[in-house]
Amino acid sequence: MASPPQPTQPPPMTNAFALTPHKVSVCLLLQTYALPAQTTPPFPFSSVSQHNRLGLYLLALTKSYDDISEPKLEELLNQLKEISGSLGHWLIDHLTGRLSSLSAPDDLFSFFTEMRGILGGLDSVVMEDNQVILDPNSNLGLFLRRCILTFNLLSFEGLCHLVTNIGSYCKEAMSSCMPYETRLLDESSNDLETLSEYENMDLENFVFGKVNEEIEARKQASERVPFHLHGPKALSGLVEDIEVVADPSSKHGDKCGESNAYIHPPGNELRDVDPYGEIFLRTNWQVQGYLMEHADAIEKHDSSFSFNSSELVLRQIKKLAPELHRVHFLRYLNSLYHDDYFAALDNLHRYFDYSAGAEGFDSVPSSSGSNGSGRYEIGLIYLGMMHLHFGHPKQALQVLTEAVRFSQQQSNESCLAYTLAAICNVLSEFGCSSSAGVLGTSFSPITSMDTSLSVGQQLFVLLRESLKRAESLKLKRLVASNHLALAKFDLLHVQRSLLSFGPKASMKLRTFPINVCKELRLCSNLISEFGYESSTMTTDGAFSTTWLNNLPKSMDSPLLPQENGHRNNCDAHRFFTQLSTVPKSVLQLLGSSYIMRSTAWEMYGSAPLARINSLVYTTCFADASSSSDAASVHAKLIQHLAVFRGYKEAFVALKVAEEKFLTVSKSVILLVKLQLLHERALHRGNLKLAQQVCDELGVLASSVSGVDKDLKTEASLRHARTLLAANQFSQVYIF
Amino acid sequence: MSYVSTPVLEEDEVIDGDFYLLAKSYFDCREYKRAAHVLRDQNAKKSVFLRCYALYLAGEKRKEEEMIELEGPLGKSDAVNRELVSLERELSTLRKNGTIDPFGLYLYGVVLKNRGNQNLARTVLVESVNSYPWNWTAWSELQSICTTIEMLSSLNLSNHWMKDFFLASAYQELRMHNESLAKYEYLQGTFSFSNYIQAQIAKAQYCLREFDQVEVIFEELLRNDPYRVEDMDMYSNVLYAKECFSALSYLAHRVFMTDKYRPESCCIIGNYYSLKGQHEKSVMYFRRALKLDKKYLSAWTLMGHEYVEMKNTPAAVDAYRRAVDINPCDYRAWYGLGQAYEMMGMPFYALHYFKKSVFLQPSDSRLWIAMAQCYETDQLHLLEDAIKCYRRAANCNDKEAIALHQLAKLHCELGRPEEAAFYYKKDLERMENEEREGPNMVEALLFLAQHCRTHKRLEEAEVYCTRLLDYTGPEKEMAKNMLRGMRSESSFPSMDAEHFPP
Repeated sequence: MASPPQPTQPPPMTNAFALTPHKVSVCLLLQTYALPAQTTPPFPFSSVSQHNRLGLYLLALTKSYDDISEPKLEELLNQLKEISGSLGHWLIDHLTGRLSSLSAPDDLFSFFTEMRGILGGLDSVVMEDNQVILDPNSNLGLFLRRCILTFNLLSFEGLCHLVTNIGSYCKEAMSSCMPYETRLLDESSNDLETLSEYENMDLENFVFGKVNEEIEARKQASERVPFHLHGPKALSGLVEDIEVVADPSSKHGDKCGESNAYIHPPGNELRDVDPYGEIFLRTNWQVQGYLMEHADAIEKHDSSFSFNSSELVLRQIKKLAPELHRVHFLRYLNSLYHDDYFAALDNLHRYFDYSAGAEGFDSVPSSSGSNGSGRYEIGLIYLGMMHLHFGHPKQALQVLTEAVRFSQQQSNESCLAYTLAAICNVLSEFGCSSSAGVLGTSFSPITSMDTSLSVGQQLFVLLRESLKRAESLKLKRLVASNHLALAKFDLLHVQRSLLSFGPKASMKLRTFPINVCKELRLCSNLISEFGYESSTMTTDGAFSTTWLNNLPKSMDSPLLPQENGHRNNCDAHRFFTQLSTVPKSVLQLLGSSYIMRSTAWEMYGSAPLARINSLVYTTCFADASSSSDAASVHAKLIQHLAVFRGYKEAFVALKVAEEKFLTVSKSVILLVKLQLLHERALHRGNLKLAQQVCDELGVLASSVSGVDKDLKTEASLRHARTLLAANQFSQVYIF
Repeated sequence: MSYVSTPVLEEDEVIDGDFYLLAKSYFDCREYKRAAHVLRDQNAKKSVFLRCYALYLAGEKRKEEEMIELEGPLGKSDAVNRELVSLERELSTLRKNGTIDPFGLYLYGVVLKNRGNQNLARTVLVESVNSYPWNWTAWSELQSICTTIEMLSSLNLSNHWMKDFFLASAYQELRMHNESLAKYEYLQGTFSFSNYIQAQIAKAQYCLREFDQVEVIFEELLRNDPYRVEDMDMYSNVLYAKECFSALSYLAHRVFMTDKYRPESCCIIGNYYSLKGQHEKSVMYFRRALKLDKKYLSAWTLMGHEYVEMKNTPAAVDAYRRAVDINPCDYRAWYGLGQAYEMMGMPFYALHYFKKSVFLQPSDSRLWIAMAQCYETDQLHLLEDAIKCYRRAANCNDKEAIALHQLAKLHCELGRPEEAAFYYKKDLERMENEEREGPNMVEALLFLAQHCRTHKRLEEAEVYCTRLLDYTGPEKEMAKNMLRGMRSESSFPSMDAEHFPP
């Protein structure tokens, strides 16, 4: 592709399906599944449920064909062993035997001709006894048909490659899995017992209690990996959920299931090989889906995962797919979340240079027209947000004003609305005094504003303006987030009771939480509309992977660990992701609306309502939330615990939270810790400690990046209280 | 100075002569695997090298084939040369045993470089060139993995005239054009008839923007070597810059007849059409050049320029960006990116690119001026920053003399008459030296006259006013008035200047 300088489009989706050794294996298994039961000794299936289990497993495998990396033969064999119990060995022998017999191109030809036999034809129905005829329109049938079709389309070169690949696929497994094989065989007696219990089980309806008992029993039996479903990466949710049980160290880990095996390859697995080395080039669809997931992961996990590992993956994708510019965007995200200003800047510019922003910005409905002119205004918005992230409000405002001007020039109304929202964001984060000067020059809604208005008032006017625009343009997500911002504004500009906790004196507030909630409800109403809309951005394979991520969850919901201190019912979340295609960003918005509610009630003094809202957040949105949001909710819950259950429990919870948010937004948790320590010290009359904690708070208030006024007040207030407790009234007076 | 003497090749062909010759014939027929097979049991150094090299080339050939076979939907495949691993193993044993010749070392270096082990590759290549300096391919491999001046100076090279060639070329790559030029001129003393050196000198001069000299050199070069296509794209750039229509068309015709499917030829034709203002055609030829060589840096940049002319800024941005990603040191492409964004009315966004370009080429006044103009735009209006940029531009050799004038104007705008007067005076002196006239001259004179007058340096003011009288236009009248006013002032010294507002 030497010269595509027209604003590049994502490459067309050719070759959406590639034949790989793994797929050949799946075909082989399908054949086993569908072949007539043999009456001679190695008959495959001893019971119907065994047969069904293989069927379900195959279904999962065929569903995951869109995943970016396929399991190696070794992994597949291990899964087979675990899935099919006593049958495992026979299956494995059968599979490896058949695979290694495929050594010349002609073998493949005859294999695929054979495969055609197990598809039910339209007319010729020659039923043998017990044979399962695959319905050509079923999932399995479709998969098989696609494989056959792809094979028929293959050129001779492709055929040769397939033969070589099958060879190395087998060889790799043979060479690397032997030691493991034997070890597993030793354990297998142990496993077989437990597995046999599954035999009579309908996969759809687990008997809950029984499984829990089983978990307990198994935990006592061996702390080693008992039910080690070495899933294909798409099934990783399942793997990890189970591992939480097995691995005591991760007891308090993420409960709702890490959705991403690429980011956190489970450490205790036998994947000694670098998992990233395995990424070979898949279809566009797969790569894009992978990138979407990756982006989510970067945003969610913040700086807690390694910069280099994902940079490595991205670089490799970049090498393999030089025309896929989204990779640059991900590199930007990655460096942004790892606070690498220069790399972020470079990658952002590079991304928008290449794609003119036309690739992958999905919030703007395409109707708004970006015909060929590119969407540089979006680049400007991102640049502005980036400066905001790095704490350069002045540059951010400058860029955003440029964005305002440019989108006016391009008459891109929706972009304008987004820009306004972004400006609001800047204003609310930094009460930027210079804003009036910058904004006033070029932007009409603001020039009409009296420049003598305070920043707060300006912000309010802007928020209203932005909301109005968003509503008229029907940008639902933006409307919702504007409502949120308004609610936040209401909350921030309220007469706050000075004692942040302790006995709640019901003070008369100017803003009622009801008002805030009304605002918030407007926000969530709009979002629920999202569920009905199919105009979401599932254009790139992301959906298919979501499906897979949720499949194992639904299969194994009762296996979710119940023992970690917090509430962990994930049902609601599953409801969300599975029933509808509500995008993660919407969930995130919805989640923050609950945080806001909780804050509102907290201020109003209704602890139970605050707690309920926080709980709703942690149960429903923990999966979609950013780590900083999650941390602040945890902080709230801990404070609540401290008030109503005593310090002891609060400190236990604090410890859990500290482990969870190791690096991320530590300051929130740290703050709560200091607050708690201070309270307890006062309570116990340990004034020296109290004073010490106060000092630390003071340090926290004026960090390198700037002075936090609220925090400063709180620090001095607490100082005053300490002094009060020490009966040094004269000094209190100073404050 | 100690020089390496020409080595005497060991006569081991006597032993394996037949096999070697057979293998060499296969090799020449591009039957690499066959050649390697013939030499499987030969241990003489020459045979070993030929066998390894044949294997390497066989791997490369297969790699290229696979690249097309496996080409994914997203452009590239991850095909690799499958011979590299075994070659690396064999060559490293040979090196350990000390039974490797300089050519073997060269191949080992190439293999190591492809395997990503640059440090060892450098060491091995240095060994190779030190024991046999006349292998230019080894030198150029070495150069491709010396990307900084530190790396270059850390090489332990023994003295030889080939080293000078190497250094000159490496300096050029590292944008140390003056050093490079000096080396080449020194070499020209020895190799006075070398076309290569002449072309390299032209290249260095071109980078130093000495277009007249470049033109002279190329004219001579074409006389000696009339069918040369190499480096002629640079000559065409010079002709383009000097707007020599007929010479450019002559050159284009000539290279077209010699070899039309060379990227350089297409680029020259593209340049010609661009000069003629036929930008669509020009783009077509640049595209063809890029089809022939996707990594052809200057074609990307030039195509970007064409798109700018055609007002297709997104396409221009894309083209420039590709140039920049091929070579991040290409300040022209960075500059082009900045210009494109500025054209679209995104000056703040454009600044990023201008910053990049001035960082790479801080001695080019045009870049500083472009950046200053960006700061000066109504949208940004960051005049202080603009002043800083203009000052840098004025310190560089600002041929168009924009910087001084702008500096004076900006200072005037910011209410700093002293600074403004200083720069106007400087600008004036410069114009006098270069014997240029024009509106800038009038403006400078007028300002200086008024300035001197407000500061009571009436004689000076009078001089400026008298000079203004030589020009037509409203300024002449103003000067006349001023003169009149000053005369009356000097006769009534008590009167204040305020009565005669300038």
